[in-house]
Amino acid sequence: MQRIRIRYTKEGRVRFVSARDLTSVWERALRRADLPIAYSEGFNPHAKVSFPDALPVGYASTGEYAELTFAAPIDPGPDLGRLSATLPGGMDITTYLEVPDGAPKLAKMLGATLWELVLPEADEDAATAQVDRLRDASDELVAATSAEVLRLRPNGEEKPIDVRPALLALRAFLRPADTGGALHPTLRAVLRNDGPTVRPTDLFTALTSRRDPAADRGASPPPSDAPADALPTPRVHRRVAQGEPLDGGLREALSGEVVPLEPARSAEAA
Amino acid sequence: MTPPPALLQIAPPVDRAAVRRAVDPETPPSYFEALEPFLPSVKKPAQYVGGEHNQTFKPWGSADVRWLLNYPDAYEVGQPNQGIQILYEILNERPTTLAERSYAPWVDLEAIMREHGIPTFSLENHHPLWAFDVFAVTLPHELAHTNLLNLLDLGGIPVRSAKRTADDPIVLVGGHAAYNPEPLAPFIDAAVMGDGEEVTLEIDDVVRAWKREDGRDRHALLKRLAGVEGVYIPAFYEARYTDDGRLKATVAVEPGVPAIVPKRTVQDLEQWQYPKKQIVPMTEVVHERFSVEIFRGCTRGCRFCQAGMITRPVRERKPETISNLVREGLKNTGFEEVGLLSLSSADHADIGTIARDLADEYEGTATSLSLPSTRVDAFNVTLSNELARNGRRTGLTFAPEAGSERMRGVINKMVSEEDMLRTAEIAFANGWRHCKLYFMVGLPTETDEDVLAIADLSIKVYEIARKHGHKNKVTTSVGGFVPKPHTPFQWVAQDTPEEIHRKLKLIRHAIKDHSGLKLRTNDPEEGVIEGLLGRGDRRVAAAVERAWELGARMDGWHEMPTLDTWMQALEETDVPLARYSYRDRDEDEVLPWDHLDSGLEKAWLWQDWQESLSGDEVDDCRWTPCYDCGVCPGLDIAHDTGYDAANATLPVVPSGLGGGGLPIMPARITDRA
Ligand code: B12
Ligand code: SF4
Repeated sequence: MQRIRIRYTKEGRVRFVSARDLTSVWERALRRADLPIAYSEGFNPHAKVSFPDALPVGYASTGEYAELTFAAPIDPGPDLGRLSATLPGGMDITTYLEVPDGAPKLAKMLGATLWELVLPEADEDAATAQVDRLRDASDELVAATSAEVLRLRPNGEEKPIDVRPALLALRAFLRPADTGGALHPTLRAVLRNDGPTVRPTDLFTALTSRRDPAADRGASPPPSDAPADALPTPRVHRRVAQGEPLDGGLREALSGEVVPLEPARSAEAA
Repeated sequence: MTPPPALLQIAPPVDRAAVRRAVDPETPPSYFEALEPFLPSVKKPAQYVGGEHNQTFKPWGSADVRWLLNYPDAYEVGQPNQGIQILYEILNERPTTLAERSYAPWVDLEAIMREHGIPTFSLENHHPLWAFDVFAVTLPHELAHTNLLNLLDLGGIPVRSAKRTADDPIVLVGGHAAYNPEPLAPFIDAAVMGDGEEVTLEIDDVVRAWKREDGRDRHALLKRLAGVEGVYIPAFYEARYTDDGRLKATVAVEPGVPAIVPKRTVQDLEQWQYPKKQIVPMTEVVHERFSVEIFRGCTRGCRFCQAGMITRPVRERKPETISNLVREGLKNTGFEEVGLLSLSSADHADIGTIARDLADEYEGTATSLSLPSTRVDAFNVTLSNELARNGRRTGLTFAPEAGSERMRGVINKMVSEEDMLRTAEIAFANGWRHCKLYFMVGLPTETDEDVLAIADLSIKVYEIARKHGHKNKVTTSVGGFVPKPHTPFQWVAQDTPEEIHRKLKLIRHAIKDHSGLKLRTNDPEEGVIEGLLGRGDRRVAAAVERAWELGARMDGWHEMPTLDTWMQALEETDVPLARYSYRDRDEDEVLPWDHLDSGLEKAWLWQDWQESLSGDEVDDCRWTPCYDCGVCPGLDIAHDTGYDAANATLPVVPSGLGGGGLPIMPARITDRA
């Protein structure tokens, strides 16, 4: 048995494929690539592809991970290249690592996630104003010891979540949009993966609801209280990478590369 | 029921003609960006994004003729349909033609589309319906008629064909419900009965020529389409009625169009080995498997079965072709399951060999095989054993269809009680743990005794099940019979839903002491709409339109009980349901589909109906002498089977079955499509 861990992307249309459906997407791609994936025993055998966690439907990612177990050895470079080519558009294998026996569990290597929230494009003035607001809110949030928000569950109940313990680092910056001159206010944050799950949406709620530090801590104001110049909701939620948290970023789990909080080619740096 | 979205008209841009003629690959607009922000908040968003493996992606400007193919229901039920996938491949193989796919949005997305002006879109490029030349819709049954109107309206084109201009696509329908398109006559431009492979290409030629030569005169295009064999243009025919409201005739009123439109039949399936590169869904659909149609048609002659009647004659694929299609198909899709599809798969002349070879080839792999067959005989159990080599022996399905032997004689499904019990004995002795039994109530001449016989037979099978294992289960499924056009039962009265409910209650009461025997029933209410649309005439169209306006859609979904809406629409439009559905018709009544020729002689159907009253069975004409139903002489072809009496691999008269029409039915209820 050969175990290989991979990092892959989930961008574009496949973002809307649920974690549950993803299993068969992988199984079928592995069969098309004709790779000797191992199957579980039993009457209803399943390909041995395991995922450390599930990405919410609609989120983009360049930091998805999976562990594949093969019944016979493969030649990872070309074979995984073939697999990557037959995956649906938007899914690409970007890194792989053969796992020696006794290696720690994949989830152990993914201690933290670098998230990215991209706001809709805006002209320079508006975008700068938004980024300034995000920065103020970020400073406040980082300085606080706790930041409770209410998350609406599918059953309509609200669940209180403290965002602060999971937050390791946070940065707001501007990034050039595809269309000339416009900019995307962007937020990147490193959140710990252990402990209670904090979603990037919870983080954004915490940022946008912390207008008055003196206000009753934790309760997010009802929407009617939202200021007229409320920040627009992010257009893209992206899981950039996972790995070990570092000062100013993250060490990606499989490649060891450092992924910075603020990418070098953001608009301000340019 | 979720309140229907208000009907906000989606307006196409005025210059859509320019878009339709465009050679610029950038046009028309893609609505993906408009759709994207709403996707996280709708149910099963992956159904709307396309991008599945094996989809064909052609630049707009590369084609002269652009088709939008549609299954007018949710993606999860429409995606597995083979008809759309076949036409998709055939059309896209033409360098000058482009075909994209679409399905019906669920009501949650529909509300968003209406609010934000997002039109009916294709999955490949999210192009709007109004930009295509042909909107080709499959109608496998009647419960998607309102969805069709909804898709047109959402797509920015007039719901009534009379209001369409040269800027609008041609609305073309096919599939089984197109054998009586009269209730949709004002909404469609053209209908085709029968196999779509050849006629689709002929239509494509006509549209291409018209666009090149003129492209402005819609009437001229329809006229040219009417010249293609098998293309029916409802606007060129007029339904005439007597003073007391009976149909007198449907007559051609446009010079030069045929008085009677025939169905199309592909004679040699071997020449049409499609679909080869089946779309691999990325989200859950009802059938996730590589399906190979092993033959087309059915000759069992079950009198209630429209599919069996209208798809005659039988045309089989060769075992080598089947195994090649399977091998190639698995390679290019990665599916883990193979389905041998047809109306009664155990009837292929070489099914024994086919099953054995496939089982040998895939033994020990993760590939599983399925054969939706419900024949009540030992051979079926043997076949299932073979195909289940790789897996668990969970469930087998048998369809005696009626409880009493008398009733089975009437419907021409001759299985004796002894056959059923012996088959059950063999199945459970072979280690199968669950049997499903399919029945119908509401059949012609049925008495309560016949109904109770369903309970009786089920209990007997259940007792056999328990004898072989304490945990063994039996499920009895009972549906209400809906008479369909082009069948021997096209003249009979349908039971009212109240009557069906009463009969189901009789069964429920009779089995109540057997807790491991489960009863599953369909909504008798759905049958009301299905029956009305199945045998309705053009006057029913007003009710279809009204029901849609009042919010009826997704009529086949349990989650969407639309019967009350329909009842209101029928009242407002003065459509007398009882006249259409709850009345026996007599021999010389003119039927709304009399000008549409399915190949079956009306006289033969009548005779068969009369014979059913005495319980006379008709043999399977694949194996026994022809009984002149009309199909073969009319089409100048005969059943194309590999059957050779000297080397038969299939028991023609399976042991102990007593001969006669072999009982079979495709699949489970969900498979029964
Ligand atoms: C796969 C299947 C399903 C699947 C997929 C959906 C579907 N209907 O295809 C599932 C399981 C979801 C399903 C469900 C149902 N099904 Co179904 N299904 C089938 C099955 C087994 C195969 C369909 C198929 O792919 N055929 C092969 C293709 C090649 O044939 P085709 O689709 O007819 O297309 C050809 C021509 O008709 C024509 N054509 C078709 N469309 C068009 C359009 C144009 C414009 C043109 C020019 C030509 C054209 O060209 C094609 C190539 O020649 C058939 C039985 C059978 N063997 O046909 C039943 C069948 C179609 N289903 C049937 C029924 C009743 C249902 C259900 C209503 C059952 C239920 N009570 O739940 C549901 C309805 C689902 C829904 N809401 O739409 C019936 C229809 C009855 C009838 N009128 O004859 C059938 C015939 C089964 C039967 N024996 O009774 N079904
Ligand atoms: S065997 Fe099935 S498909 Fe054939 S006629 Fe009978 S019910 Fe119809």
